[in-house]
Amino acid sequence: MTAARFKNSVRAMYAPIASILLTLALGFLLVMAITDDPLQAYRDLLFANFDSLGSFALFLNRATPLTLIALGVIFSFRAGIFNVGGEGQLYAGAIAATVIGVTFAGLPAIVLLPLALMGGILAGAFLGWVPGVLKVRLAVDEVVTTLMLNIIVLLFTSYLSNQVIRDTKSYGAVSEMVPEKIWLPALPGVPGATSGIVVAVLLASATWVVLFRTVWGAQLRASGTNLRFANAVGIPADQRIIVAMLIAGGLGGLAGVLYVLGIGHRFEQNFSPEYGLVGLTCALLARIHPIGALATAIFYAMMINGSAYMQISTDVPRSLVDLLTGLLVLLMTARLATPKTRS
Amino acid sequence: MTNADHILRLSGISKSFGEKVALKHVDLDVRRGEVHVICGENGAGKSTLMNILAGIHQPTAGTLILNGREVVISDPIEASRLGIGMVHQHFALVPSMSVSENVFLGRNLRKWGVFADKAAMVARTRELIARYNFRLDPEATVGTLSVGQRQRVEILKALAFNAELLILDEPTAVLTPPEVDELIGVIAGLREMGRTILFITHKLREVKAVSDRVTVIRHGESVATHETGSVSEADIARDMVGRNVFLVGRGNEQARRPFGPTVLKLSNVSMTDSAGRLLLKNISLEVRAGEILGIAGVDGNGQTELSEAIAGLREIQAGFIELGGRTITEASVPERQSAGMGFVPEDRLDRGLSKTMSVAENLAVSNYRRAGLKRGGYVDQDRLEAFAAEKIREYDIRGAVPESPVSTLSGGNMQKVVIARELYRDPDLLVVCQPTRGVDVGASEFIYARIMAAADRGRAVLLISSELSEIFALSDRIGVMYSGQLLRIIERKDADEVIVGALMNGSLEAAA
Amino acid sequence: MYLSSFLASVLEQSAPILLAALAAMITLRANILNVAVEGMMLVAAFVAIAVGSATDSAALAFFAAVLASILMSQLLALMTLRFSADFIVAGLGINLLAAGGSLFALEWFYGTPGGLRPITFPDIWHVAPGSLSFIPVIGPAIERQSIILILAFIAIPLSAVFLYRTPTGAYLRAAGEDEHAARAAGVSVVRMKAISLAISGLFAGLAGAQLAMDKLHFFLPEMTSGRGFIGLAATLFGGGHPWVTAAASLLFGFFGALGDRLQAFSLPSQFVLMMPYIAAIVGLTLARWRIHVRNRPARIVVEGSA
Repeated sequence: MTAARFKNSVRAMYAPIASILLTLALGFLLVMAITDDPLQAYRDLLFANFDSLGSFALFLNRATPLTLIALGVIFSFRAGIFNVGGEGQLYAGAIAATVIGVTFAGLPAIVLLPLALMGGILAGAFLGWVPGVLKVRLAVDEVVTTLMLNIIVLLFTSYLSNQVIRDTKSYGAVSEMVPEKIWLPALPGVPGATSGIVVAVLLASATWVVLFRTVWGAQLRASGTNLRFANAVGIPADQRIIVAMLIAGGLGGLAGVLYVLGIGHRFEQNFSPEYGLVGLTCALLARIHPIGALATAIFYAMMINGSAYMQISTDVPRSLVDLLTGLLVLLMTARLATPKTRS
Repeated sequence: MTNADHILRLSGISKSFGEKVALKHVDLDVRRGEVHVICGENGAGKSTLMNILAGIHQPTAGTLILNGREVVISDPIEASRLGIGMVHQHFALVPSMSVSENVFLGRNLRKWGVFADKAAMVARTRELIARYNFRLDPEATVGTLSVGQRQRVEILKALAFNAELLILDEPTAVLTPPEVDELIGVIAGLREMGRTILFITHKLREVKAVSDRVTVIRHGESVATHETGSVSEADIARDMVGRNVFLVGRGNEQARRPFGPTVLKLSNVSMTDSAGRLLLKNISLEVRAGEILGIAGVDGNGQTELSEAIAGLREIQAGFIELGGRTITEASVPERQSAGMGFVPEDRLDRGLSKTMSVAENLAVSNYRRAGLKRGGYVDQDRLEAFAAEKIREYDIRGAVPESPVSTLSGGNMQKVVIARELYRDPDLLVVCQPTRGVDVGASEFIYARIMAAADRGRAVLLISSELSEIFALSDRIGVMYSGQLLRIIERKDADEVIVGALMNGSLEAAA
Repeated sequence: MYLSSFLASVLEQSAPILLAALAAMITLRANILNVAVEGMMLVAAFVAIAVGSATDSAALAFFAAVLASILMSQLLALMTLRFSADFIVAGLGINLLAAGGSLFALEWFYGTPGGLRPITFPDIWHVAPGSLSFIPVIGPAIERQSIILILAFIAIPLSAVFLYRTPTGAYLRAAGEDEHAARAAGVSVVRMKAISLAISGLFAGLAGAQLAMDKLHFFLPEMTSGRGFIGLAATLFGGGHPWVTAAASLLFGFFGALGDRLQAFSLPSQFVLMMPYIAAIVGLTLARWRIHVRNRPARIVVEGSA
């Protein structure tokens, strides 16, 4: 790589690092205000994740869906689509994988696993496709469609998990367990952590390569930054945008699949602590750069997971992280312009 | 003439936007009760001058004397208070509201302090309409009105609050011929009522039809003021266009070699909008290999639609387009590119470039395969850089490194990026629009040289420009677009800028 | 009467949705897609219970709730209008802030993360039972309804009057529909948007207060359950007109009440609940389709061309 290209890559990390530092600073102020032992609280918030193999595993498990959703957001924003449907795509993928796994439990793993995988990815992709097509062909506001679809999917999964595939032996709206034969292996050396994290990291790199090192990616970015330009130079912009939305939805769906197959092993109605919104935030804070988003997602996973430990050892409630996230989203969009200005 | 007879006097008005000088020491006298036309080419500075009067810009030098007193017009509200009413070219109307609601927008009459007194506003609007004989229904929804009617609402808005001086900016640009006649009638009526009217236009017929006096602005300076009755359209056209110094030109030389076969052919091409208005009227033209056909015309007469139709960005509703003998009427943009077309759009930031992407990517975007930058689906970064570096050198694109975002370049250098990209494919047909708009002299010369070199190599060039000097410098034949029609195509050697200028401005007298 | 009690439950279900819809509608007319209605409602609900149990005054609780919601709306206004934040992201941020903040307050100040359930709680004014029995069917349905519900229904014509019969309403609509025209007329677009957000906060505050104080008298972390978004869906479906929006809200409320009763039957309540959102998407798509068709270039009538 030439010096200039390296400089560009480094420059792309400024935004995520700045936002991480701002989060840390703001959070510390809050913690200082409410507890006598802010240092202990903060230490636990961040580093308790590494105290034991168990906590490390949980942290990695949080990072997986966050990263994937952030990557999905990045694809859609780079295509010029303001996609806030991550939560719905996540749930769609999760429920599809669960239904397939439970319904066809008799099939051998070598068939069932890819089937569940594909089913989940396609379910998410469909949820990306609908708003994409409506936007490209009819200029229907994608924020509204993705927002509405989120809720529709959540209601649908609630129906399925309450009525259709419910595990009547357990308490609450949970589905039956997905057959063990298709559970994803744990990360070697870290029992409890899903190997899905590896997939997430690989896909982050792949996203970067696709967006910045392929012709397709260059064409997509051209379509997202200036559609009229893309049309004028002969790029099939409509196609690129719709495919990008399929990928974006598919990544969200994959996040759901990896959750079900690798972490929860079943579908629970409220398994996501706003992964969709936090994933969106991670992507935006990293200025929709894939590697930067990986960094912010990992950081947020640390905080979300760490907040539980912080609550145990000090008296700081874990909802501090939610409060902090809300503040941060507000502040960060004010300071930096978002990648796509909406009309 | 004493001051009392002048409602407005501008002395030494200058205006610069950063480095760009828009107006240089403009003097203007406007007599009370007259219709005074401001005439000039695109970019001459007419709109800037009017915007100063409307309070949208502040002059960088000079004084404004209104009704004998020096004034500072700080914003549109102040202009309105001073009795100046501006009717913009692009209407500022809310389509879902009625005529009276639009007239009183921002200044609603109130009932009991809290409510809008709709009845009173409708009544007052009706009064105004009757007074000026406008034939409008105060309760009609603006969205349902025709363009001519909407314009009358705009004029009414300007008049409603005691405007003595009415400024109309290119009012006929969007009107059909019968609507133009109506407007001329309205203006005459207003003059009879003692209003003073300042009117910007480039259309000579209108100048003669309605004005008392005309002032010509050229390159930011006021060139002359005439009593309309004592000049001809040709005189005015000559003032507008002047004697320009041509840059490197092939104009006066004989054609160096015979032209080759026809490369681009348009036959009876027409285009409509959703309301059925004809944007392009039955256009036929041919461009041969080695030839530069220049299409002159003031912006907004169909050139954008013509270039987009040829480039494949907009459908036509009648006629055929052929490139190199093959029909491309239904062809997509990439198909036209393969057939040998290059397209430099009129607004580089709108259609020519992606501001945030790098110089290299903007150069490469339609050239990956041809430049050997693809390896499978991947982009070879080293080759991309080398390709960009070479183009930067070749086109002398200043201030550029391959990775820098293209937005860091100056206007002229950005334009060079677009041209470098399109010329890389050495297209058989180069369609280039407004190539030097917002471009400095040095870069302009470079660009002209490139365009001529393409023609010398045997390529066909369609040049669409509102800059007469560049049309004359480069073209072998010159056509004029006016109101969606291609009026005439003449050989360069038979062309005279006064005649062409007159044609561009709709003067049928000169066309005879 | 069975019909009356069904109507009563329709009205009850509709009230917060109606208020949320009106909140979204006012901002929509100013060209703002207000996704923060949900968060504003939640904050109002929390403040209502917190202040009510602390002061034992229903009136104070009510006003505090509305004030809190308006303050949230102005925070959104500040971030977006003064600091150029993106409306959608900032709106979602407000929602997150409301959810996280209320949860945090529950944990930190009350130590009850599950919710805030005061033992006693002052009651807001309700229509006295039996006072309206002389009106058939509708009378008994309105009995026992809270003052806020009455206010909600009054808000419909009030909104219409505001938008269509006051100068500020007209200027607000102009700012939303055509900024250029508004500015040329001297209307401050920023001010209009800020006003629309404040009114939005008012209605959202009423909605939150209604949720918390009408029958329940407690606060649960997710008690708004997406009603803010149902309201948004109703507004989008109604194109921003007060009466259509109100009708859509009542319709969604109707189906909500119906859904409750249909639990016993085969139709799952979730599908009923999905309807507002599907309706919003369908409505928008149809509107866009009409515009798309209208903007097609006209055919050329080929007679003898000139």
